[in-house]
Amino acid sequence: MPSSQWWKIGWRNVGRHKRRTLLTSLALAVGYAAVVLMVGWVDGIVSQMVSNGTGVITGQIQIQNPEYLPERSLFNTLGGFEGTSVTELLDALESDAQVDAASARVYAGGLLSSGDATVAGFIIGVDAEREARVTRILGSLVRGRLPEPGANELVVGEEMARKLGSDVGDELVVVAPAADGSLGNDLFDVVGVYHSGMPDLDASFAIASIEPMQFMVALEPNQVHEVALAVSDPWGSPAIAQRVEQIVAAQNLEANVRPWTEFRPEIVDYANMSRGAFWIIVMVVFGMAAFGVANTMLMAAFERRREFAVLLALGAKPSGVLRSLIYESASLGMLSLIVGVVLVAPLMYWFHNWPPDLTNLVGGFTFAGAFVRPVLKVEYSIVVPLQAAIVLLLTAVAAAVYPALKTARTPPADTLQGR
Amino acid sequence: MNRSIFLLGAFFLTIPGPVLGQETAREIVDRVDRLWRGGSSRGVIGMEIVTEHWTRSLEMEVWSLGNDYALVRVLRPRREAGTATLKADQEVWNYLPRVDRTIKLPASLMSSSWMGSHFTNDDLVKESRIIDDYDIEISFDGVRDGVDIWEFELTPKPEAPVVWGRIVEEIRKDDLMPVWVHYYDDLGDLARTVTFSEYRNMGGRLVPAVMVVTPTDKPDESTTLIYSELEFDIDIDEDFFSLQRLRQTGRE
Repeated sequence: MPSSQWWKIGWRNVGRHKRRTLLTSLALAVGYAAVVLMVGWVDGIVSQMVSNGTGVITGQIQIQNPEYLPERSLFNTLGGFEGTSVTELLDALESDAQVDAASARVYAGGLLSSGDATVAGFIIGVDAEREARVTRILGSLVRGRLPEPGANELVVGEEMARKLGSDVGDELVVVAPAADGSLGNDLFDVVGVYHSGMPDLDASFAIASIEPMQFMVALEPNQVHEVALAVSDPWGSPAIAQRVEQIVAAQNLEANVRPWTEFRPEIVDYANMSRGAFWIIVMVVFGMAAFGVANTMLMAAFERRREFAVLLALGAKPSGVLRSLIYESASLGMLSLIVGVVLVAPLMYWFHNWPPDLTNLVGGFTFAGAFVRPVLKVEYSIVVPLQAAIVLLLTAVAAAVYPALKTARTPPADTLQGR
Repeated sequence: MNRSIFLLGAFFLTIPGPVLGQETAREIVDRVDRLWRGGSSRGVIGMEIVTEHWTRSLEMEVWSLGNDYALVRVLRPRREAGTATLKADQEVWNYLPRVDRTIKLPASLMSSSWMGSHFTNDDLVKESRIIDDYDIEISFDGVRDGVDIWEFELTPKPEAPVVWGRIVEEIRKDDLMPVWVHYYDDLGDLARTVTFSEYRNMGGRLVPAVMVVTPTDKPDESTTLIYSELEFDIDIDEDFFSLQRLRQTGRE
């Protein structure tokens, strides 16, 4: 008997007990949907971590003088202390199709003071308009506006504002060691207050216009400490960083180009860990479903034991009987898969576009240095549904092996005699 | 008569040296520690700072009263003239003439550089006397480089709030002048060296007029202090060291 006949028998028997088939396939289908959805949520959290861990302040790729880190010395500007043509560099970088935006920064550590209150912190000098395209920190203003280019204006984190007892409209004294050895100091107006959700950031970083910052710490306009990039595909950062290296080299600039996977390795670790979790979820879910399927198949084989005995008595090979049962289970698996896809597709679409926001229930939290909001947004994926589909089919087939073997090995005479 | 004079002379000569005990060692180290301060003092000091990136000179006027009060005002260069630092009531304030504001220095910045020099804010305003925080031992007694000296080793007392792991100090026997001081960090590595020279009589005392600080990790960098004026026991009291004075001093 050709294999297609056994397939036919297998498939036909799926329809024999419609209700039982439906219940069994629902076990597999719901398991499938659960795996795809749960992994989708984990991916959602990972992608939020990547987005918040790199999108709030660091950017996805950073370019610095090779000597700049870890000391962050004021003198180790891009291109050495002579500096570099910043505008040209930024334009060249933004010409890459996958670089969304580039922003140059100047960092200074110093004091911010208002009346009796003084806090030690970092002041970052940026072009607010450019920076807003690279990171979201300037988009997280809770009050006020962005610093105007060239004006002695800055925005501070909510916690810093609280410590200084200052708010929008107040004046701060900023003191920082300058590159000429003097003690740079100047007055800046607080024009905005931001809330990033990251405690360190909110407590100790102020963001000012780059020009007055450079003036205060005695740097020239062509001396910057860092260029931060936003890219279209965060997970493609290492490859984009390699291209950026060439762009930087073409500017005759000796610089260190680092993708976020290098400066935020903890997020990469977490992503890898959650990929490992996928297989644990798969094993638990399908492990449970497998016993349900095995039970169904055992019953299906038992109630048709006379039919199989007759087939065997008439000369069918035991392997044919075995195949018919395995094909039946495989058919059940495919049916389940279709039901599963029909179940999960609209759920994925729903949770991707209108994720439930649990912030009111549990609040936001910081994890692996990235702020995470408990928003149950799922991320689409092609690999996960495919992998889960393969596991589902394998489960269905594996669950049928024991019932099929048992049936194929039973001598037909015993069954027909009712023993 | 002759005999008694001889005995008297012998008596004085023998005080330093063999009979030098822990008490005397403490006195000598304490004396050096307070050499430039006295009960109260006023001085004019030049400061030359050499770093990898820049070199600059400052001139400043310094007032002090005991361990608790100090006022420093920058006289030159003009761009920074008027910048002033006040230490009073365990607080440190800076006056910034450019923005006409005073700011209080947070405790976390006490160990950071003062005016870009190799001195820390803490060096400038340190409160406790060195003998209160350190146990002192003589680690060498004899002639070194042709000069009769003592070498004292200072180890912090348990619980003493100090930044150094160990201090070694060389002091000349004949006039009790410091030659150099080595500061070691917690790991026992030499962190910086201070050397003294140009011993001169100023304000009625013999003091080293020049003091050079070299950080060990940056041997090409240094800060040199040169005392050009120094007077002791001047007529000032605690009221002199006020925030009002800090601003006024800066504006003068």
